[in-house]
Amino acid sequence: MEYIHINKLITTSIYKQIASSITEAIVSGLLKYNDKLPTEKEICESFGISNTAVKMAYEILITDGMIKRIKGKGTYVTNREINHTDLHAFLTAYNAGENISDGYTKDIILFDRIRKDHGIYRDMKLDTGEKCYLIITLVKSYQNPVLLQKVYLPDKYFPKFNKKYDEFNKLYEFIENVCDYKIKHLHSTFRAINASSAEALLLNVKTSDALSFVRTQIVNESDDIIGYVCSYFPGDFTEFEVIADAI
Amino acid sequence: MQSNILDLITIDRRSALEYDTQLKKSIKSLILDKTLYYRTALPTPKDLAEFLIINEKLVKSAYNQLEKERYIHLSKDGQYSVSFFESSNHFFDRNTTIYEVIISLGLEPSIECIEKRIIFLNEETVKQMGFDSDKSNEYLYINRMYFGDNQPIMILENYLPLYIFPNIFEKFNGDDPLYQHLKEYYGVDNITSRRTIKSVNLNQRLADLLNEAKNAPSIQSTNHVYDRFNRLIDYSRSHTISSYYFQTLITREEMEKYLYTKN
Repeated sequence: MEYIHINKLITTSIYKQIASSITEAIVSGLLKYNDKLPTEKEICESFGISNTAVKMAYEILITDGMIKRIKGKGTYVTNREINHTDLHAFLTAYNAGENISDGYTKDIILFDRIRKDHGIYRDMKLDTGEKCYLIITLVKSYQNPVLLQKVYLPDKYFPKFNKKYDEFNKLYEFIENVCDYKIKHLHSTFRAINASSAEALLLNVKTSDALSFVRTQIVNESDDIIGYVCSYFPGDFTEFEVIADAI
Repeated sequence: MQSNILDLITIDRRSALEYDTQLKKSIKSLILDKTLYYRTALPTPKDLAEFLIINEKLVKSAYNQLEKERYIHLSKDGQYSVSFFESSNHFFDRNTTIYEVIISLGLEPSIECIEKRIIFLNEETVKQMGFDSDKSNEYLYINRMYFGDNQPIMILENYLPLYIFPNIFEKFNGDDPLYQHLKEYYGVDNITSRRTIKSVNLNQRLADLLNEAKNAPSIQSTNHVYDRFNRLIDYSRSHTISSYYFQTLITREEMEKYLYTKN
């Protein structure tokens, strides 16, 4: 509750002070989507103020779309914007986190070297036992996760792969400029899946919530699948726009 | 459909791997190499256990793991079938009809009209949909199921303005391809389709219609269709079965357009 600041000595109404404190905490990222807010009673008791002031503050925040009440559960932060993206732009650029813009952050949460993964290895035409780098990143927009991405780069195509990748947050630039490959095309499949508990935890959604799942094969000019990307988007908060003309 | 799936599923009794793991691997590789196609019915755990002379619990364990990984699906009547869908289609990124997509999947298409009625939309809804709110607020609402080989693939709800399509309730029976009808009887072509695609959990009603479990993942597409005069002629929303997906190939040329001109 440390984000609520009340000064009883100033003329600004207490309910407005509560509402703006909470708004500030949400905008700054201190409070995130689905975070639970204190009950009205807790705020009243902590600050020695009337129930009406807290009620009014919460009403304002509900009207502003910052918070929501769930009957029998409590009050939660709900300000999570829907991320709109053009499907084709996504499948090319955004796909590999190329167009990370203002307000977005991208963190590598795992660097690993794996030797097997049945489905992925089949799609990459790799044999079990062959080494492959795995980089998992999480993209957030104002603290809300918008994309969980797993990048697979086989050892045989990236033998000198090292920490250089860490410095490059653009995958295609890394593949083309640092590793000297020319990408011929990207082959993507798009489907809806239920979030596993791990995916849900990272994307701040509930287990089994729908996710948009895109798998992309990165193919070079020799027709080798030199890279593979799995992207997971929270379904409720991601919309893809498509304009399709009649053939 | 395979004539005898039982013969295809094998286990190696000398292997150190647990039987359920072996079974899972065996079935998964049959699905991935397309020996077992989408919707192929699998033997019941009891039948497979008896055939392989192993404990039924091990077959159930393998099936459960495959279901968790979304390779197979357990229907309400207890039948396991392949849910992995390995077919290319371009419904979402190209302006083809659902009918054509189903044919391109190698399936026999059919349409069933679940509901067809004239409705009156309020001004706010009309505006939200993007129709002309100055015109009549009468619309034809049709809710239809698309099947491939008699299995549900997609459910589609359309809203068609009567100010563009007068008497459509009487003229269109609901079981035929829609755009063909609009072209034939009204001379209206589907030129551009603007779609918003997202992944959603199916509610109970849609899940029942698509023969899926409640909360199964589904691709939802909200579509605005325009004619040659850039006039909105149809607003629709579709939901597909959970194993439905689409593929797309982005060439170097397209990549360069986005990657190197964006900055």
